[in-house]
Amino acid sequence: MRLADDRHSTRRQFVSSLCGGFGAVGLSAMLQEQLGAAVSGPIGPHFAPRAKHVIFLFMTGGPSHMDMFDPKPALLTHAGERPESANLRTERMTGGLLPSPFEFQRHGQSGIEVSELLPNLAAVVDDLCVIRSMYTFNPTHTPARNLIHSGNIAATRPSLGAWISYGLGTENRNLPGFVVLSPGARGGDLWRSGFLPAEHQGTHFNHAETDPDRMIRYLRNDKLGAQAQRRQLDLMQALNRGHQEKVGGDAYLDARIRAMETAYRMQFEALDVFDVRKEPESVREEYGETPFANGCLLSRRLVEKGVRYVHVYYGPGQPWDDHIGINKNLRERCPDMDQASAALISDLKRRGLLDETLVIWGGEFGRTPVSEAGDGRDHNPYGFTMWMAGGGVRGGVAYGATDDFGFQAVEKRVSIHDLHATILNQVGFDHERLTYRYAGRDFRLTDVHGTVLRELLA
Amino acid sequence: MRLPALLLVGALAALAQSPEIEFFERRIRPVLVEQCEGCHSSSLAEPMGGMVVDSRDGLLAGGATGPALVPGDADASLLLKALGYLDPVLKMPPTGKLPDRVIEDFRTWIASGAADPRSEPSEPVGEAASADGPGTPIEEGRRWWAFQPLREQLAPDVSNPEWTQRKVDAFVLARLDANGMQPSPPADPRTLIRRAFLDLTGLPPSFEETEAFAADPSMDAYSDLIDSLLRSPRYGERWGRYWLDVARWAEDHPTSEATNRPFQHAWRYRDWVIEAINKDIPYDRFIRMQFAADLLPGFEPSDMRALGYLGNAPVYHKDRRLSRDVIETIASDDWDERVDAVSRGLLGLTVACARCHDHKFDPITAKDYYALAGVFASTWQVNRPMVALDSERAEWLTWQHEKLYRTKGVFGNLKDLDTVAEELHAEILAMKPEYERLELELSAYEVPMTPAVIDCGVWVDGSTPTVTRMDLRPAQPRDLPVFIRGNVANPGEIVPRRFLSVFERGDPTPFEQGSGRLELADKIVGEAGPLATRVWVNRVWGWHFGRHLVRTPSDFGTQGQDPTHPGLLEDLAARFVTNGSSLKWLHREIMLSATYRQSSRENTAASAADPTNRMLWRMNPRRLDIEAWRDSVLLASGDLNLAGGGPSSEVDSPDVPRRSVYSRISRGRLHPVLQLYDFPVPTQHSPIRQVTTTPLQQLFVLNSGWMQERGRSLAEAVESATDRSDRIRALYRRAYGRNPSTAEVELGLGYLDDRRAEIGREPWDEYAHSLLAANEISFLN
Repeated sequence: MRLADDRHSTRRQFVSSLCGGFGAVGLSAMLQEQLGAAVSGPIGPHFAPRAKHVIFLFMTGGPSHMDMFDPKPALLTHAGERPESANLRTERMTGGLLPSPFEFQRHGQSGIEVSELLPNLAAVVDDLCVIRSMYTFNPTHTPARNLIHSGNIAATRPSLGAWISYGLGTENRNLPGFVVLSPGARGGDLWRSGFLPAEHQGTHFNHAETDPDRMIRYLRNDKLGAQAQRRQLDLMQALNRGHQEKVGGDAYLDARIRAMETAYRMQFEALDVFDVRKEPESVREEYGETPFANGCLLSRRLVEKGVRYVHVYYGPGQPWDDHIGINKNLRERCPDMDQASAALISDLKRRGLLDETLVIWGGEFGRTPVSEAGDGRDHNPYGFTMWMAGGGVRGGVAYGATDDFGFQAVEKRVSIHDLHATILNQVGFDHERLTYRYAGRDFRLTDVHGTVLRELLA
Repeated sequence: MRLPALLLVGALAALAQSPEIEFFERRIRPVLVEQCEGCHSSSLAEPMGGMVVDSRDGLLAGGATGPALVPGDADASLLLKALGYLDPVLKMPPTGKLPDRVIEDFRTWIASGAADPRSEPSEPVGEAASADGPGTPIEEGRRWWAFQPLREQLAPDVSNPEWTQRKVDAFVLARLDANGMQPSPPADPRTLIRRAFLDLTGLPPSFEETEAFAADPSMDAYSDLIDSLLRSPRYGERWGRYWLDVARWAEDHPTSEATNRPFQHAWRYRDWVIEAINKDIPYDRFIRMQFAADLLPGFEPSDMRALGYLGNAPVYHKDRRLSRDVIETIASDDWDERVDAVSRGLLGLTVACARCHDHKFDPITAKDYYALAGVFASTWQVNRPMVALDSERAEWLTWQHEKLYRTKGVFGNLKDLDTVAEELHAEILAMKPEYERLELELSAYEVPMTPAVIDCGVWVDGSTPTVTRMDLRPAQPRDLPVFIRGNVANPGEIVPRRFLSVFERGDPTPFEQGSGRLELADKIVGEAGPLATRVWVNRVWGWHFGRHLVRTPSDFGTQGQDPTHPGLLEDLAARFVTNGSSLKWLHREIMLSATYRQSSRENTAASAADPTNRMLWRMNPRRLDIEAWRDSVLLASGDLNLAGGGPSSEVDSPDVPRRSVYSRISRGRLHPVLQLYDFPVPTQHSPIRQVTTTPLQQLFVLNSGWMQERGRSLAEAVESATDRSDRIRALYRRAYGRNPSTAEVELGLGYLDDRRAEIGREPWDEYAHSLLAANEISFLN
């Protein structure tokens, strides 16, 4: 290009070392201030992190703990009865106790009981830290989902992934720090950055698609091939440099020149990383071929490439919201969830990535031990199960307990804030010190709550 | 439910204790630990209600509502009332009543003397909420700089009086002088006209306008230019949009369930704002109209649209199957949003910080918060007619529409009859014919309705088991109690609706007219007027310069930043008022200054001394926001349709594109293109637009069909020029308002030649797309 020259290369390299990829346009504090943005880039961990990456497998709707991880034989002996403890206010009207038809057996060296619905997870149960005493504060989906995503029932606070991106930045400047894999785009508010700088918001990809082109908005230029596009970009950058010479140096202009380059490169990096079809057949078979399997496999590919936080939604809508026909639904839904989740654990472990990747599984709440509409279960915020694996968390542990029927967490109760505090601890943050000043005060993910679950740490 | 005897400490202790203690350890302590200590432990920084249960002393002392325990007298013990859900509001634990057997255990335990071996002292717990007072006492707070009456300032002496064009310049130059710095030279005319055009109208000047201005030697050319831009209808579209950011305007709610479906006519408020800005309605009246246009003298029916400020505010879904306390919490979140939007947006005060306790830093009490929140608990969102009708008819129509909206909403919420008690089925089933009848009835009236508010107290009725009702009482205001620690289940003293005490002499006077919304507006522009004016003038300054004088534009409290030029802000705000609170006056005063007319060019020495330009030694270079950038691209490509007003269209709609201010704005699903370009999520007030520069934005620029379409239009617009160089010249004129240099023509020809060698033709659309994608169109100097 006739006007193209590299006179600005030093300056550009300087800026490029500051301006990361799109997850963290990680500008230095000074440059941020020059740009008029509110705050600096990643603040870095408070102490040595145990985990560098987090993968959250989110079971939207609220999976049933009594049918999967929390055996309650008393449901059978008291089937149909309505004990006093059933009189907790849930969303809908409920009936008598509904036993689980699924058999539980002890597995692994730890002997943790897992339902027959989950043979693959049972096989890796010695890597799991099963928390049977989770509780939350709201029996309705949206507020409860807000709480588990952002520590607050209102739809305004930054989500967990945004906090981690804000804290750690990204390892790969060609990819975002916080990736959301959700089939269908609903729920954008769940991966919001809230008052944190916008660059920390989750970048959403639709993993119901396997073709990266269809997954990422505007990823590919449908008119120009890579070479022609490179030529067009060179023209734009020549125009940009000419403009810059005329108006003088400016951080904004540098940043945009840089961002255009990254966008261009990302088209190809993303085409590679987001393409699970590039995995060997054996690996794809291990995960399965459903959208959730793609999501799990993709999450491994992404953390391998340095993405900090991947949030995988099991499906569109609220698939685990089994108000009716729960047993039939679980039989249909569990196999692919079980296979892909367990494959993710094994795959990460095989690659030596499990130690540095914290995997979390669960939904916004659990379900009631009493029936709804005969063969369904209502929402249960008072007690439910989640599990973690890897990332410096002990495996082969069953922690806490619900009451005899599974209504309420009664032993070693774990709040959402405790879970958040623990996740932040594993990636190197003191949850009380990871704050952001906004609207006149310092905000935290855990607000004024949360205790790190030290008993669960390896 | 069997209570697990799992607490090791308790179990061991029980071994060696009396039967009473053993009873406590087995039956009471586990419940306290599991059910209560999550919120009531002395290990917490702020136990709820100031109450702790992890020591005997804590239980005896109780919390905000008094001692929890009277040993030996179960019925007199508040703890038992709370556990038994006997009190209408104090119900513990809030997640659900404990089994009767457990409550019976507590009765037994208290009646037999409440034996409790736990002597571990907990920190003495003070009274909840307001005992400590705010971080700055009210009296002291009255002396805070931002609350003082406005006074014009003497212009300071400066080194170079010749340089100053308006009074603001003296303050700027004095500060530069004091730091041994100098202002930048004036911007060249072509830069200046582009700056003025984009600043006032959000659109760049044409090539012809630019050249005419550059060639005009007259002294008045610049001043005349500003006057003509201020007369353009495009001006209100630009500055109205700024206001819409402050007003967190949108056309739906953060979520869209049955009870909070999207607004139908939210755009009417947007159109009113644009008209009001074009008409230069004085700022104080502009504010008063948005709270109470219907109550002001000189009310025109179309002014009703102004009430959209409150009428388009976000509302959260109230699932009627939830308990009274949960619904009241959601309602109080709605009120909290109003308090926050009004106090930060108009007063630069973070009053919402005082929801759970007195403000930690500023002179604002929790009582102040609930006094304001009461105004919003006494208003209800409705659609009101915006044509002249007699008041009885207008009210009837308003409430019929409200009934339709609410009946349809509640039916949608509860229509799944399996989820509600049978005795309610008939009532619910009757809702459908009822709202269908209303729909039919109201369709006969061709009366345009606009989102507004009406005076109406809002209560939450939990008297029906399994379903919670909203209890609306038209014209009956509601004074709220202080919800201790923000907890609606823990109401304290009732506070009359009134304004913030720091702005009142002596005891604040309660509001008396209806909800008090007019009185509130009067106080904002009256008693708090000096603050409100400083906040507004500072915002306007920030939109002109890209940076504010007070760099925390929605926080003028003790945690905010000091102004970079206190005298300037003071003087400009004072003169703004004496000049009729006219926004157009303010634009002129700012834009005619030498400060504003400086070049934005980098100066290494000045930059080293003052990297963030706090001294205003130059104009700040800026990236255009999404609206100005999109409109600039559309104008260049010739696609922009300047038709204004009416229902919104999508920002990337394939239809003939209108100005960005007419894009649909959603709280729940903000358009991805708007998100990409830092449009603030309008679920709450946003003080400032972030400016991010991300590769995802560039993917849109490089690859989107929308951009390629613009390139095509632009190329077609210059097709008539047959000479290639002429055609490039025409493209530059349209895209950048200037002629290209010889080298730039060469660059273009080179590109086209290279591409022709590759594909056998010259892709002018690609070339035009590149011009539109480059930095020159997206940045302002």
